[in-house]
Amino acid sequence: MNHTAWLRSRWVVVPGAIAIATLLWNAYVSTHDHGIVAGRVVDAAGRPVSGATVMLFERGFVTHQERERKISDADGAFRFTDNRSHSIQLEADAPGLGRTDRRIVRLWFAAQDVQLPQPLRFGAAK
Amino acid sequence: MARRARPLLALRHLTLVVIAFVMLVPFYWVVKTAITNENIYEYPPSLLPKQPHLFNFVDVWYLIPFPRYLLNSIVVSAIAVIGNVVFNAMAGYALTRKFPGRRAVLALFLSCMLIPFQATIIPAYLVTARMGLLNTYFGLAFPMLSTIVCIFVFKAAFEAVPKSLIDAARIDGLGEWRIIARVLLPLSKPAIATNVILSFIWSWNNFLWPLLITRDPQMQTLPLGLARFLSYMEDTTGALYAFAVMVLIPSVFVFLMAQKEFVRGLTSGATKG
Repeated sequence: MNHTAWLRSRWVVVPGAIAIATLLWNAYVSTHDHGIVAGRVVDAAGRPVSGATVMLFERGFVTHQERERKISDADGAFRFTDNRSHSIQLEADAPGLGRTDRRIVRLWFAAQDVQLPQPLRFGAAK
Repeated sequence: MARRARPLLALRHLTLVVIAFVMLVPFYWVVKTAITNENIYEYPPSLLPKQPHLFNFVDVWYLIPFPRYLLNSIVVSAIAVIGNVVFNAMAGYALTRKFPGRRAVLALFLSCMLIPFQATIIPAYLVTARMGLLNTYFGLAFPMLSTIVCIFVFKAAFEAVPKSLIDAARIDGLGEWRIIARVLLPLSKPAIATNVILSFIWSWNNFLWPLLITRDPQMQTLPLGLARFLSYMEDTTGALYAFAVMVLIPSVFVFLMAQKEFVRGLTSGATKG
């Protein structure tokens, strides 16, 4: 019994719990950090917009710089596959529809895979 | 008698609660600002956090090499803590023994406590440089390897151990090293906890010495990282305070882990079998 008493010491239990939590978190991160950012672009009426240019801005120290562009497909869907940042902004641009508001996307770790819950939405046609 | 004591006790507790509240408010404000993007100069200030989130901590982790600073601080503090426990225990034990010039050594130690580190930092730098320890973990921990206050903590703890115990150990054939390791240190857990907490916090918060001896940004510790972050991120108070919280957490963790022994005091633990 006494041989295992040290295992119940707070000097073992607390750091051990922290180490296990860190391992589990890192395991989760390593399986969800492919840099995929996916979403859809829709017009003011909610219809998919194909051929819209979606821009991904990556956070620098003070400003955001554009890093990559994708074109939305027939369903209005787009997909970036090598985002490396933990904080990005997305904006779509389409001829005749103007630009969407910039969507700020905060991630829990760099290159986290994310599917936008709400599509990028254009305002009324100009 | 008990009835008269009860209001006094309540008053005492109320006073302590008020004092604790006053002392905790700055910490609360730091944490509150860290989990929001509020401006700390906003007037009137909001007592509760508006739209709290944890993304400021994520920003801190990625915008600067925080993991590297954290690793550096942990390694340096671990070296300082080990050095303090080992060297201070040895020095403390020596000072409990009788030898010629003991009083002079004690007087020297006490007088050295009056000299601020800033006054000796140039000789310390030159010694460290001559030893080739600039820009190394050991060099960062070097001046913190032994502190006079903590030597006296061990001395007081060792003096509280009954002399008969040490004599018995000596009769059983234990040498001086084993007396320290097998008899005195196990009976001096509060002194060890005090050494661990104080040396960890002093090393963890040390700014001037790492600033002086690190040349490679990869060897910088968290306080230097905080200064660097401040210079970059003047407009982002939330991330700055998140950094402060992340620097603070390990110190609070070490204190909470060792507080039982730390609070128990020195002499009470020393005579326990």
